Amino acid sequence: MTATRVTPEPAPRVRIRVDRLVLYTVLVAVTGLFIGPFGWLVLSGLKTPAELAASPVHWLPAHVQWHNFADAFNLIDFLGYARNSLVIALIYATLVTLSSAWVGFGFARLEAPGKKTLFGVLIGSMMLPQMITLLPTYLIFAKLGMVDTYWPWVLWGLAAAPYLVFLFRQFFAGLPRELEEAAIVDGCGYGTIFWRIFLPQSWPVLSASFVIAFTWSWGDYIAPQLLLSTDRSTLAVAVMSTYVTSAGTPVANLQATASVMYVVPILLIFLIAQRGFVAGMSTSGLK
Amino acid sequence: MTVDQISVTGRPGTDASTARTTPAARPRISMTGRRHRAFYLFTAPWITGFLLLTVVPMAYALWLSFTTYDGISPHWRYVGLGNYSELFSDPQTWKSLGRTGLFAITSVPLSILAGLGLAVLVNRPIKARGLFRTLLYLPAVVPPVGAGLTFKALFDQNSGAANGALTLFGFDALGWLADPYARYVLLMSVLWAAGNVMIISLAGLQDVPRELHEAARIDGASAWRTFRSITVPLLSPVLLFQTVTGVIASVQTIMPLLLTPDGTTAGVTALPQSNYLYMMHVFSQYFALGRYGYASALLWVLFVLILIATGLIFRFTSGVVFYNVDPEAKK
Repeated sequence: MTATRVTPEPAPRVRIRVDRLVLYTVLVAVTGLFIGPFGWLVLSGLKTPAELAASPVHWLPAHVQWHNFADAFNLIDFLGYARNSLVIALIYATLVTLSSAWVGFGFARLEAPGKKTLFGVLIGSMMLPQMITLLPTYLIFAKLGMVDTYWPWVLWGLAAAPYLVFLFRQFFAGLPRELEEAAIVDGCGYGTIFWRIFLPQSWPVLSASFVIAFTWSWGDYIAPQLLLSTDRSTLAVAVMSTYVTSAGTPVANLQATASVMYVVPILLIFLIAQRGFVAGMSTSGLK
Repeated sequence: MTVDQISVTGRPGTDASTARTTPAARPRISMTGRRHRAFYLFTAPWITGFLLLTVVPMAYALWLSFTTYDGISPHWRYVGLGNYSELFSDPQTWKSLGRTGLFAITSVPLSILAGLGLAVLVNRPIKARGLFRTLLYLPAVVPPVGAGLTFKALFDQNSGAANGALTLFGFDALGWLADPYARYVLLMSVLWAAGNVMIISLAGLQDVPRELHEAARIDGASAWRTFRSITVPLLSPVLLFQTVTGVIASVQTIMPLLLTPDGTTAGVTALPQSNYLYMMHVFSQYFALGRYGYASALLWVLFVLILIATGLIFRFTSGVVFYNVDPEAKK
């Protein structure tokens, strides 16, 4: 668009071409800057320990160490940790999506005294620093004997997440009134209306919410680090702290390989669910 | 339901006409009641969760902040405001608070500028626009642990690309992950996720009416002038939201911890001074020393400071932020 100018300039064609060239150069350079760091992690994960220790830096591995993937898999119980991460993420994402949809329906479609205040509290609670509430919550969970169990994630799931509630509220509020009116005349309860009429309409939001919640849980580090013992912990914790030899020295190349294996599933999920994910992000941002 | 039924059936009406009107009137009376009850039933999970998992823990932390509780010793006692007076006279509190403030006022504006710049760049009619957008956004999807390990690999003393590039051009290798450079690595690791701001700004940019840009061009406005006078004001609600969430995120970031060799909460003692932010001070009191009472006082001070900061941001921007559509009408 910049190329079209009102004031006539000498040789506009050349200008357009130069403009484009500059634009694409900037674009490629900036993109390289953003992708580069992760590329370096991948490269580091394909080197030998000697190459990582060498000075000056070995930019590329002399021989690509593909077996690092298998080694990283076997040095720790990678599959076990991945399963823990997956179970926690599935529990949390399923519960929090359903509970947030349920609460979102209430805020979108029902009226009662105090609704405005409650909605204000909901929006305000989105801005509560979660790290601050997590620490005393951890002490309480410890007192209740819920440390080293998955109960905290069940409770967090049942409690609905304000951010996702808002997402569902926006979606449900946009559906036509007639949708529930006929059902009310037929004598259906609101539970039935939610379950039979509204939920089946909301597949895009349901999947977006599920993907967002899943990535939160998969990416969470502090909660599993505090609440779970090393054996029952998640991949995030394992990748961060278990790649050491029996003498305690870190195995940097395998740790890099493992973190690539930890991150890639999330990137893939994002790429598959991109549309809904981005739409969800933007809705919350525009409020 | 029972209250309605009693009032309806209890009404003295023996003749046929009243008996016939009651069933018609009943749904209307109970309709609002049903809606009210349904509202509380639907919002109950969140209300209960908010009370039990946010209000109760915060109240518990407030109570602990007046004690010497450490989780082990049974002889903990009530000390009133003792923890708070200790906190205010502890130089570590002020130093870490200062670092956190500095981190927030550099990382938040820089992230927003970077994100906005990226958004403008990929909002142009370019080839493979979707691909560029995806690639620029991907780092924002990388979980914190992945980001921490990525930046540790990039800035490693021996095997990092950063030192590789420095020595290539004849400079000395730097200890990036130690003082005083660790703060810059922290800043870069945050800027790496600028795609978040990009995606949200992009949605805002696409809402800017085309006619406004056309009108500005006809009036002979420069690209920069158009950006400043049209794009930025129309994006200002988005930018305000990004500022508030950015400040809150930067205050509670655990990235300094993830950039240490260990990375666990026990590793908090190995932090370079320049990355010893307020939250890390809380962590070291909480986990390295087990001083739950004192650390809870620190938490509450931070909580109040965040509330004040958020309030101030909203206050100072109330005249500047421009709502194209009345936000109430949108709801």
